[in-house]
Amino acid sequence: MSARTIGGKWMGWQGRLGRQPALMFGATILIAFVLIALLAPYVSPYDPILQNAEVRLQAPSWAHPFGTDNFGRDVLSRVIWGVRIDLQIAILGVIFPFIIGTLVGTVAGFFGGIVDTLFMRLVDIILAFPFLVLVLSIIAILGPGLGSFYIAMALVGWVSYARLIRAQVLVLKSSDYAVAAVSLGFSRTRIMFRHLLPNAIAGSVVFSMSDAVLVLLNGAAISYLGLGVQPPIAEWGIMVAEGQPFITTAWWITLFPGLSIVMLAFGFSMFGDALGDALGVKE
Amino acid sequence: MHRYKFVLYRPIQFLPVLFGISVVTFVLVRFIPGDPARVLLGARATPTAIANIRRQYGLDEPMWLQYFYFLKNLLNGEMGKSILYKIDVLKLILTRIEPTLVLVLASVVLSVLIAVPMAALAARNHGRFADHAVRVISTAGIGFPPFWLGLMLIILFSVNLGLLPVSGYGETLGAKVAHLVLPSLTIALSLSTVLTRSLRAAMVEGLRSDVATAARARGMPERVVFWRHVVPNSMVPTINLLAVNIGWLIGGTVVIESVFAIPGIGQLLVRAIFSRDYMVVQGVAMVLACATVLINLIADIVTVAADPRVKL
Amino acid sequence: MSAPVLSVRDLTVTLNLPGAAPRMLLDKVSLELGKGEVLGLVGESGSGKSLFCRTLVRLLPSRNMRITDGRILLGDEDLARASEAQMLDVRGGRIGMIFQNPTSHLDPVMTIGDQLTEGIRFHQGLDARAARKAAVAILHQIGFPEPERQFDAYPHEFSGGMRQRAMIGVALSCNPEILIADEPTTALDVTIQAQILQLLMDIRRERDLSIILITHDLGIVAQTCDCIAVMREGRLVEQGRKRDLLRAPAHPYTKALIGSHPSMPPPSTGQGAVAPKAIGTPADKPLLEVDDVNVRFAGTGSLFGGRSGAVHAVAGVSLKILPGETVGIVGESGSGKSTLARAILGLTPIASGNVVFDGTSLREDRAAFLGRLRRETAMVFQDPYNALNPRLSIGDMLTEVLKVQGRTPAADIPARVGELLDLVDLGREFAARRPRSMSGGQCQRAGIARALAVNPRLIIADESTAALDVTIQAQILDLFRVLKRKMNLTLLFIAHDLAIVRSLCDRVVVMHRGHIVEQGASAQVFEHPAEPYTQALIRAIPDIDPDKPLLPQAAREVA
Repeated sequence: MSARTIGGKWMGWQGRLGRQPALMFGATILIAFVLIALLAPYVSPYDPILQNAEVRLQAPSWAHPFGTDNFGRDVLSRVIWGVRIDLQIAILGVIFPFIIGTLVGTVAGFFGGIVDTLFMRLVDIILAFPFLVLVLSIIAILGPGLGSFYIAMALVGWVSYARLIRAQVLVLKSSDYAVAAVSLGFSRTRIMFRHLLPNAIAGSVVFSMSDAVLVLLNGAAISYLGLGVQPPIAEWGIMVAEGQPFITTAWWITLFPGLSIVMLAFGFSMFGDALGDALGVKE
Repeated sequence: MHRYKFVLYRPIQFLPVLFGISVVTFVLVRFIPGDPARVLLGARATPTAIANIRRQYGLDEPMWLQYFYFLKNLLNGEMGKSILYKIDVLKLILTRIEPTLVLVLASVVLSVLIAVPMAALAARNHGRFADHAVRVISTAGIGFPPFWLGLMLIILFSVNLGLLPVSGYGETLGAKVAHLVLPSLTIALSLSTVLTRSLRAAMVEGLRSDVATAARARGMPERVVFWRHVVPNSMVPTINLLAVNIGWLIGGTVVIESVFAIPGIGQLLVRAIFSRDYMVVQGVAMVLACATVLINLIADIVTVAADPRVKL
Repeated sequence: MSAPVLSVRDLTVTLNLPGAAPRMLLDKVSLELGKGEVLGLVGESGSGKSLFCRTLVRLLPSRNMRITDGRILLGDEDLARASEAQMLDVRGGRIGMIFQNPTSHLDPVMTIGDQLTEGIRFHQGLDARAARKAAVAILHQIGFPEPERQFDAYPHEFSGGMRQRAMIGVALSCNPEILIADEPTTALDVTIQAQILQLLMDIRRERDLSIILITHDLGIVAQTCDCIAVMREGRLVEQGRKRDLLRAPAHPYTKALIGSHPSMPPPSTGQGAVAPKAIGTPADKPLLEVDDVNVRFAGTGSLFGGRSGAVHAVAGVSLKILPGETVGIVGESGSGKSTLARAILGLTPIASGNVVFDGTSLREDRAAFLGRLRRETAMVFQDPYNALNPRLSIGDMLTEVLKVQGRTPAADIPARVGELLDLVDLGREFAARRPRSMSGGQCQRAGIARALAVNPRLIIADESTAALDVTIQAQILDLFRVLKRKMNLTLLFIAHDLAIVRSLCDRVVVMHRGHIVEQGASAQVFEHPAEPYTQALIRAIPDIDPDKPLLPQAAREVA
């Protein structure tokens, strides 16, 4: 949409956010998960790692609404404690790439020339690797674990943000208001961080929400493969892996952690979509 | 056909990227702490084997010279030997490539077959129930972890309905196809959510576009406007999106092969990581990176074919 | 006038947004179009003129819009009540449309020929071979030199003018009785515009077409139409025969519209034309000196252009501007006029040559030169929205400029911001507004205020009125005149619109393909252009006076 058509019906963005049911819905899901994570010790009915041979592989019941696993652990409690780990994965796995990528993209786009060429070559090379394959390879070197996962994400994930921001900065750099800023003698730092970045960043913020979904799925997948979070910690990916041998008999062990991933991811997606609509960002 | 000239010189443009890929894979393995010979050969290697690999990879030389040894070996098709399988890495990868290749191809085709009708349904009913349904389904679908979705499909089709095998890979063609249906469906369902969203957006925009208005203004029925003008114009962004997602798709294959116990490259990679078979990790990463580069070239060719404006 | 082919009675279109009161977008519009007649539908953006034409073929841009009243009689058929199937025959087959932007309205991935045959096959039921033959004939008629070969070409392979011809061809392919042309020449250069208008007049004669020509330019209407209808805010304020209406407009809005048309003033009567002022005797030291400047762009292998090799954007340009002078640079798109402006301001590197600003030379001391430029010159841009940072309020924007320039004590800045807003006739409350909540004209005023904030000696205005409606355009031009007088500004005014330059500038520089083809006092250049290119450029401007035909061929025809 051109600025002109918005012109007449413009209202404060705060006003527009309040009127977005999808945004409120997405935000509600995310806030609910944050609350569950904070209150896990109080809302989970059992200890998530305590084994109890007497209640092995029990189907969902009033005592164990999500059933129990092959060690007799309460699946609901494990799902609740899992929120802490998986929410952390989604947030930390996005924040570091976001910061690195934004800085690199702004600098590369603004200065152009050799700086830009070097960074973009690096981006090309990293993008040549299938994302998960490179992340797995880095984890293979660093050894399995959540720390390795975050390092791998920071090393690989920034490229998407760098490309997004760079493309935006390139467009904005030639916009008339940037030219005006140059012609009025504004310093480079001022133009970069006060005039270009704030206008360029909306797309990345929206993208970070769908990126959070991908990071969550990848983090869970890596734990599922046994290369991320290690047992006996309750994490949804691991729980699916642990339930896999029993899918013919005890489906509940795999069903509920998977559904939790779907729910959390849905929250991020809804929030991101609605945010994109509200900020007028196109994918 | 000068528009396709780029196919000839594009490989030259790939050289820096291929060079970068070799550096990254080289650095990856050299970063492992400890004696590189031990790292590459495993703890139980014989002294002769260690002496051999020191010579072959110049492991006592400075780092940059080691890289040249590595590059030289690579150009001879020499990627080292697997500790676990005791055979050349390249050979090992070639024996495992078939299921992965078929899986990727089948997933792409299936996901397009799912996405196009869904997107068309949504776009042509923009703002109505079908559109909202498709939007919600595809938004929610993005969050379905493929490994978990695979297991759910197993429960449904294999355990409850008994239609398809649970896991593994077959010997005969029929068995192979039967074993690949669920895995490719799993990947296709995941991929189609992204495709559907993008296609739907492109089609909705296309239906509002000046091109569509102009076609309506000369009396074309809505069906003609959609299939003759809107759909061809939405193909280009979709091809690009597919190309961008190819890395993601291959990553998904790695996980899905582990879920369904399919003896492909992905499963090979995961096993190699567990058994510290670094030559294999290195080889698989390199082969998959080169495959991604190749697929991007194919995507470029298709883009040029689909849009007469594009010149590369 | 013979019996009308199209007769619209009380046509009313209402917008029903959920949760909002219904709004009337078209309010009881009635008009008639005679056989073979050209009707000019005039109005500014938002007047409803485009909506009106889309309503005629029932292609309303939103599902929330409805025809709530009135009739559209095409022959004896009421299109307002026709079924969708009937409309398919009407659209294209009886009423054809051409649009402002041929680039976006032609299907980029389909050949020109296929887009022509589509309509032929659908409406006339011809087979592929016959349709191709008919299409080639049309291509020939609309001025494609090699129709057989160009049949298989894609839209992007043609220039803007040829694309507009192709779109006219697509409309003709369905063999309509009525042609609706929605701003068909707005995106084109004047010389191309003249050719396209000529083509429309030719096919009108050959096919006995009736045409509704939507435009914001009264000059075009005066030159081509038989009747005029003026629209404003969804209402038809006035309509009548062209000469009557132009000579004696009844409605005040029509008067204002005619009054703000930047037409060429009559020669030598002096009224409105700026007589060369006495300030600049040749002995005066020029404020700005451009000496043999060349600008080249490396041939970028762009995605859609695919041109290679360096492009000579500005070639050996020299000019002098005296203090207090207003100089206009005119030229068509691609003439290098905007590039020259940016090169003067040091925003685009120059390949060779020199620029001297008030004695400080670019070649001798680049840093000092740029330093003085940044403090003593300012630029005003074309697109008022793109020129303002959307995140900053107007007050913040002005404050920032004053702070960075560092000549106003911090305590005085708020007062100065107020003064600047006063200067450009924006209320002080605009300090808190952001660009998106403002109209184009208001944004342009804010952009001028920003330029004034540096207390400039020289302002370069690059097509600063091109994106605005005529009445707003006239206001902004007045503002420039007032500021020039008040602040003793030197103004370099770049425009494609010769009439504007003529009315505002003392001196004019005509550019073509990177070169200066002619320069001199405005009156001199416009009344007695020496160069053939300048002559052609001036002749192509549609004048609001219908008795001053500027289309030579059309003139012959009328006579």
